[in-house]
Amino acid sequence: MKAAFLAAGLALAALTGANAQETFTIGLSNGWVGSEWRTQMIEEAEAAAKAWADKGVTVNVVVQSSNVDVQGQIGHVRNFINQGVDAIIINPNSPTAFDPIFAQAKAKGILVVSTDAEVSSKDAIYVGIDQKGWAMKSAEWLAKTLDGKGSIVTINGVAGHPANQMRVEGYQEVFKGHPDIKILNEANANWDQAQGQQTTQTLLATYPDVNGIWVQDGMAAGAWRAIMSAGKTKDIVATGEIRKDFLDLWSKEGLTSGASVNPPGVMASALNVAVHRLMGKEFKDDVFGGVYGNAIYIPIPFVSNENLAENLKAAEGKPGYWSVTAQVSIDEAAAFFK
Amino acid sequence: MATLLDGRLWLITLTALLVLVGVNAALQPNFLEPSVLQSNLTTFLPLVLVAIGQTYVVLAGDIDLSVGAVVALVNVTTVSVIAALGGDSQSVLAGLAAGIGVGIACGLVNGFFVAVLRFQPIVTTFATSIVFAGLALRILPDAGLPVPEAYWRGYAGGLFGVPTVVLVLAAALVTIAVVGRRPFFTRLRAVGGQRTAAFQTGLSVGRLRIAAYVLSAVFAALASLCLTGETASGDPLMGQTLALSSISAVVLGGTALAGGVGGPFGSLLGALVLGMIGNVIFFAGLPFEYQTLVQGLIVLAALAGGVLVARR
Repeated sequence: MKAAFLAAGLALAALTGANAQETFTIGLSNGWVGSEWRTQMIEEAEAAAKAWADKGVTVNVVVQSSNVDVQGQIGHVRNFINQGVDAIIINPNSPTAFDPIFAQAKAKGILVVSTDAEVSSKDAIYVGIDQKGWAMKSAEWLAKTLDGKGSIVTINGVAGHPANQMRVEGYQEVFKGHPDIKILNEANANWDQAQGQQTTQTLLATYPDVNGIWVQDGMAAGAWRAIMSAGKTKDIVATGEIRKDFLDLWSKEGLTSGASVNPPGVMASALNVAVHRLMGKEFKDDVFGGVYGNAIYIPIPFVSNENLAENLKAAEGKPGYWSVTAQVSIDEAAAFFK
Repeated sequence: MATLLDGRLWLITLTALLVLVGVNAALQPNFLEPSVLQSNLTTFLPLVLVAIGQTYVVLAGDIDLSVGAVVALVNVTTVSVIAALGGDSQSVLAGLAAGIGVGIACGLVNGFFVAVLRFQPIVTTFATSIVFAGLALRILPDAGLPVPEAYWRGYAGGLFGVPTVVLVLAAALVTIAVVGRRPFFTRLRAVGGQRTAAFQTGLSVGRLRIAAYVLSAVFAALASLCLTGETASGDPLMGQTLALSSISAVVLGGTALAGGVGGPFGSLLGALVLGMIGNVIFFAGLPFEYQTLVQGLIVLAALAGGVLVARR
C-alpha cells in the first residue's frame, strides 16, 4: 500500500514536471559592508526568496557578507561551491578577477549571477542597472534644469572602481552634447558622505560662480549640506540621493534636485531571475546586452521635484537610512524567458 | 607550561588552528576532501605569504603597512608587461620577473626611508602605500587585462600530481627554514629586541632593517603573483585589506609587535587561523548581520588567549 502510494506520488510529481524538484539553495555574496544600502539589498533578497513559497518553490539562501577584498570574496564563492549550492548571486568587488572561479562554478553546474556591478566572465550573467545609463539620466536632468548652460563640477566615487568608471563615461557623454555646459572640475570623494561635504566646500570656495553639481549617491547629502551652509540653496542645483532622510531634507528645504535610483532591490531582482532559470526555463535570445554581452538591464527609476511627494509617501514609517527601491517581480522576471 | 611555551608561542596558534579545523570538519562534511583542502589553501595562500614577509619587518621592531599596495602594484605591473609583450610563454616569464623586480624596488624604497633617513615606520609605510597604490592606478586605471590562460591554469593545476599551491607553500616553508638558520635571522631579532645594544655590538642595523623590508616586499610580490594566478587579471584596487590582516596574523602567530620575539612559522599558522575563522563563520550559518562582528570577536579572543596563556 505504502509503495503504491509512493509510486502514485512519484508519477504525479513527474506529471507536474517543473514542480517536481522545487527546492533550491542560493548563495548570496556581498563583499563590502560599508552602507545600509547593502544591508537593505540582502534583506530584500532574503524576503524575495521567502516569497517564492507562494509559488510552491522553496528557496533557501545562505549569505556571506563581510568586508573582504577580491581574494576574500573568491573565498566566499569557493565556500558556496564546496557546499554545493544551486546558484550564486554576487555583488562583486572586481569586474574581471572572478573569471577563473566562475568557470569552476559553472563546471560544477552552478548558475552564477552578478548584480550591481557587471563582470566580464562568460560563465556568469548580470542582472542590475546600467551604471552608465544611471549617470546619463541624472546628467540629463541637470543639463535640462540648467537650460543647457552654466558651470558645473562633478564629485565621483572611488577612482578605478568599475561602476565609477562607467558613471563618469555616462555623464561625460551627456555633457558633451551640451556645449554651453562647462565642467570646471571633476573630483573624487570615495562615496563617503563626509568627504563629499568637504570636497563640495572646497569646490564652492574655489569656483564661487558654479551653477550645478553632479554628485553620486550618498555623497549628495554631504554636498547639499555644504551648499546649504554656504547659503546657496537657491542658486545651485545639484543631483540628490535616494535615502529617506535626504528625501525629508529635500522636501523641507525646497531643494531643486533629481536622483537616479540604483534600487537596493537589484539582488532580489537577480534572485527572481535566477530561480526561473533554475526551474529549467531558457532565456530569450535577445535579453543580453552590455559591455560584456551578458547583462540583463533592469529599469532605473528617477526621483525629481515632480514625484518627490509620492516617493516620500512610499517611504513613510521607514527608518532614515531606507532607500527608495524597486524590484523585478517574479512575474516580470518571467518575461526574460521563453 | 611556561618553559614549554618559551619561544614557542606558535604552539598556541597551532592549537587554535587544530580546533578550528575540527569545528570546520564537523560543520562541513567534505572539508577534508583533497579538492576542498586545495581550494581552501588557494584562498589562504596570499595572506600566508604576506604574513611571512611581514614577520621579518616586525621582528626588527618595524612595521610595513605598504604590503597591500605592493600587491596591487606588482599585479598591475605583471599583467601590463605580459600584455605589452604579446602574451606568449616568454612574456609570462618576463612579467613574473618584472613583478618580483618591482617588489624588490618597493622594499628598498621603504627600507631607505625608514632605516637610512630614520623616518617613523608606521607613517612612512602608510605614505609609501599611498604612493604605490597611486602608481598602480596610474599603470592600470581600470580593472582588466586578462592574463594568458596558461598562467592561471598552471596556477590552478599542478606539477607531477602535486598542486601548484602546495608547491608554493612548500617553497615558503623551505625559505623560512633557510632564512631561520642564517646569522641574519639572529641579528634581525637582536635589532628588534635591543636596537641600541645591537648597534653597539657592531651590527649594521640599517642594512638589516632594509633587508627585512625587501624580504617583506618580495613575499608580497609572490603573494601578488599567486593572486594574479587566481584572478587571471589586473586590478589596481587589489589587496587592500592585506596590510592589517598580515599584522594580525603575525601577532596571532606569537611575534611581538615590539620586535625581537617570534618567527615566521607562527605567522603562517596565524594566517591560516584567520582564514579558517572566516570559513567556520560561514559554515556555522550565522545571520549576515552578525558575521563581521563575530569574526572580530573570535580574532580578539584568539589574541587574548595567546596573551593570557603566555603570561602564566
